[in-house]
Amino acid sequence: MSRFTLALRLLWRDSRSGELTLLILALLIAVSSSTAIALFSDRLQRTMSHQAAELLGADLVIASPEVIAPQWLEQAKQLNLTTARTAEFPSVLIEHDELLLASIKAISDTYPLRGFLKTRDGDAGTETIAYHGPEPGTAWLDKRILSALKLKLGDILTVGEKPLLVTKVITYEPDKKGDFFSFSPRVMINDLDLSATGVIQPGSQVHYYFQFIGADSALVTYKNWLKPQLNPSQRVMDSQDNRPELSSALNRAERYLGLSSILVILIAGVAIAMASTRYTERHFNATALLRCLGLKQREILWLYSSQFMVLGLIASALGSGLGYGAQVGLFYILRELLPQPIAMPSLGSLFFGFIIGMVVLLGFALPPLLRLKQVSALRVLRRELEPRQPAVWLVYGLALSLISVLIWKYTHDLKMTASILGVGFITLMVLGLLMMGLLTLMHKRLEGMSLLWRLALQGLLRNHRASISQILAFSITLVAMLLSFNVRNDIITDWQQQLPKDAPNHFALNIFPNQVQDFKAELKQLHITGSEFYPVVKGRLTAINDQTVQKRASKDSQGDNAIHRDLSLTSAADLPNENKLQAGEWWLNSPPGLVSVEQKLAESLTIKVGDSLTFTVASQQFHATVANIRSLRWDTMKPNFYMVFSPGSLDAYPSTFITSFYLAESQKELLNTLVKKYPSTTILEVDLILQQFKTLLTQLTQAINFLLYFALMAGFMVLLAAVYATLDQRIYEGALMRTLGASRRLLRTAQFIEFSVLGLMSGVLAVVISEFMLLALYTQVLHISYHPRFYLWLLVPVTNAVLICVVGCWGVRQVLNKPPLQVLRAL
Amino acid sequence: MQAQINQVTNDVIVTESLGKSVLSSEGLLHILSSIDLIIKSGESIAIVGESGSGKSTLISLLAGLDTPSSGAIYLNGKSITLMDEDGRATLRNELIGFVFQSFQLLPGLTALENVMLPLELRGDKTAKTAATALLHRVGLAQRLSHTPKQLSGGEQQRVALARAFVTRPAILFADEPTGNLDSKTGATIIELLFELNQEHQTTLILVTHDHALAARCQRILQLEAGRLV
Ligand SMILES: Nc1ncnc2c1ncn2[C@@H]1O[C@H](COP(=O)(O)OP(=O)(O)OP(=O)(O)O)[C@@H](O)[C@H]1O
Ligand SMILES: [Mg+2]
Repeated sequence: MSRFTLALRLLWRDSRSGELTLLILALLIAVSSSTAIALFSDRLQRTMSHQAAELLGADLVIASPEVIAPQWLEQAKQLNLTTARTAEFPSVLIEHDELLLASIKAISDTYPLRGFLKTRDGDAGTETIAYHGPEPGTAWLDKRILSALKLKLGDILTVGEKPLLVTKVITYEPDKKGDFFSFSPRVMINDLDLSATGVIQPGSQVHYYFQFIGADSALVTYKNWLKPQLNPSQRVMDSQDNRPELSSALNRAERYLGLSSILVILIAGVAIAMASTRYTERHFNATALLRCLGLKQREILWLYSSQFMVLGLIASALGSGLGYGAQVGLFYILRELLPQPIAMPSLGSLFFGFIIGMVVLLGFALPPLLRLKQVSALRVLRRELEPRQPAVWLVYGLALSLISVLIWKYTHDLKMTASILGVGFITLMVLGLLMMGLLTLMHKRLEGMSLLWRLALQGLLRNHRASISQILAFSITLVAMLLSFNVRNDIITDWQQQLPKDAPNHFALNIFPNQVQDFKAELKQLHITGSEFYPVVKGRLTAINDQTVQKRASKDSQGDNAIHRDLSLTSAADLPNENKLQAGEWWLNSPPGLVSVEQKLAESLTIKVGDSLTFTVASQQFHATVANIRSLRWDTMKPNFYMVFSPGSLDAYPSTFITSFYLAESQKELLNTLVKKYPSTTILEVDLILQQFKTLLTQLTQAINFLLYFALMAGFMVLLAAVYATLDQRIYEGALMRTLGASRRLLRTAQFIEFSVLGLMSGVLAVVISEFMLLALYTQVLHISYHPRFYLWLLVPVTNAVLICVVGCWGVRQVLNKPPLQVLRAL
Repeated sequence: MQAQINQVTNDVIVTESLGKSVLSSEGLLHILSSIDLIIKSGESIAIVGESGSGKSTLISLLAGLDTPSSGAIYLNGKSITLMDEDGRATLRNELIGFVFQSFQLLPGLTALENVMLPLELRGDKTAKTAATALLHRVGLAQRLSHTPKQLSGGEQQRVALARAFVTRPAILFADEPTGNLDSKTGATIIELLFELNQEHQTTLILVTHDHALAARCQRILQLEAGRLV
């Protein structure tokens, strides 16, 4: 215990030394940014989990194309689980000579197990909450069905062979699947009426969902019992592993924020390593004396590491607190992207930041500290005895494993982790060597330079490794900032420029075939220019050359996404504008049964000209032969399709039409006319979508920049650590220079030049790297036009130089302020 | 066997054909060769010799700060050549006190804390009282809370003396303790050293260039090119 008080005393006496302050600051930065991110993703994930149960409509769901074995339900009963069943299938409804493809859902009495339904008793009625579905003999409908089929509440709707009384308009159901565009309008009926509809036949496209709720432990037991018995077409989903996907934007945000926080850790880690190296070197003599006084190697290590532990604990605790605040800021920035309400954070993630702090300290400060263990007692007599340098694998090994684990945590992807590490390592090596070359070149040129410049550059050349660390820390941070800033701006401006002045800015969906002529005439009369009208049939691609599509698609690929949902199928006589043929021939007066496939999808599913594709529409199957492959631009604001069929191919199926048109700002009120006249038609305003997209991008980049400020602060810690490492030497040299007659102005100018050169070098490096990355990104990935931004070439290095000058000159202020006599006498 | 006998006969330091050589760019350099020594408890020994004759090397070996290339050293009958570094560290703490030419105080600690340090390393609860007492004894009662920077060279060496004696070591090694001081200050330090040595009945091993000082010791060992003459 008295050893520990000694450690504390030594720490207290050392606490005013610059390097410990720096160490704490760097650690604070690392801890608060990683705590913020940990809390952020934790709260996000928990929010999703909460919503998951509601979105699933239950705690656990078995999805199956057929009714499950009775003993499965028996087992659930044994475990005290409550069960509900829904069956969903598409069906064509015909009323008043109108055709409509609807999605029927038959529900058991216990439905919904989680959440509630919302209904209306008519167009004007208020929404009421219901904890049960329709009674047998009745149906609840989507409002769209009423207008499309010219029905009203109290009418009879026939589903298959079963006439049902329409009693309510359904406005919300908890477990609705699919996205906005792929919804077919809903008809909800009671399970007891299901067989009477006669729709369920062998081979028909039904999805059964068996839903369960109960105690957590019972659910786990049930899931484990169930899993080995599932056949390949059945799936178990629960709120744990089947949370709804974060929107891809939010998903990316989480990933980028995580990676940015690693950048912060890395740069702060460099500052920590530099500060502890300096600390270690300053303590060689004291250690030798302690060894001489009889302290064992192990005790030396304990003495110093316990001091660092205390520091780590304090900084980590403070950092977690700061991180909590920072996280609130992140949620504020991203508030519009996030689902509400946000779950409270778990204690665990607050603790995560704390642990990160201790691990970062260990990873970056321990290797230099270990040198103290090697200090020989003989040093008390022979000052020149230096302890061995720590093993290279130890220095980089600890830090590298820490970084790798973190990257993996944020990407959950081994391949990606490896490639980020690999690319990062190679980049750092190349840049490091490049800087090394530059500094060496500078060194060679030093002789011919004036005293002022020699003085100035000496600061940079004193320790090449430290200078390279500083330059890289600043330039990498700046690159990240420049990328996020430029990409956002360029995507938005490019999109706005790409769109011709009168490009369609509205989409009209769900136009019924009998309305098409009217609608066209209406547009013409209102002097609105529109694109073609395309019929849309919702259908699913199920097989390629009689092989089921599931076998073709790799997970998460474009093809995989496309085969798991209904596609919008259309037919056209002519190749749509702005589409280009890539293979095969466009049809001319060809018979029905040909299909044109979009190029990227074709590549993903390896579809070739001449292949036979099988589609399923409302439980009916049909085949089409691939006539050609098309490429297209998705951002043209015109209806675009993966699958275009030759005329006549889809005539057997109920379809709606889609078109797009341009409305000038002054014509906006015409929208009301259209909406009133065609109540079943959905009109999407592209302006609004674009505006939303812009907000989304802006918020994302703001959130990422928020973290990059932490990285920038860490960069300044590296700068100060480097300055402190040479401070004694600088003060001594400064005193000597002044004793020999150098003016303070000369020294100040030299300092000014030194830090400006540092700032300019890292600024220029950052601009060059970011421009190259933007060029590659724009031409290879985003396909938007690239222009070099010359104002940044000037602005970034100069701003950077000014900032670094201010901080650097502040760091070395003692060199000018200490009276030389005092300095020299103290030696 | 030898060790047992030494213990009985009160020999504090015994060396047997002690040698130290280092590998330099010009080949093997013999710094010390065949040193045979017996130092009795309570004796005061002066080691003299030209600069570079190996004085510092000899006492660093005797104090267990360094290991010999050949031969053996027994401190209080225990062979330190067979001990590992940590074993020697414990021995240093229990047995040995040091005074250096360059004081070697911890710059961050106050005078009092510097003197307390070796006792605290032992876990001695009376560290503060003992250290205060000794600082009074060396005439620094008013300077307890001053850091080395605030003390003159002579005062610093007094603190170092207090630190050396505070553990009541069996053996005190002093390597040119006045080397960094002017002659007057040096003389007072030496007086203090001998007084304390008397009071504590310590075995004193003193390296010096000063023949007058050497003469105050009971025995003088003359080193020439690494050999005793
Ligand atoms: N590790 C070493 N490597 C090379 N030479 C060494 C080493 N240690 C000591 N020497 C040499 O051994 C010789 C003796 O050194 P030592 O320090 O013991 O002399 P000294 O008698 O104490 O001299 P001084 O009176 O100047 O302090 C010197 O020539 C020194 O350079
Ligand atoms: Mg010497």
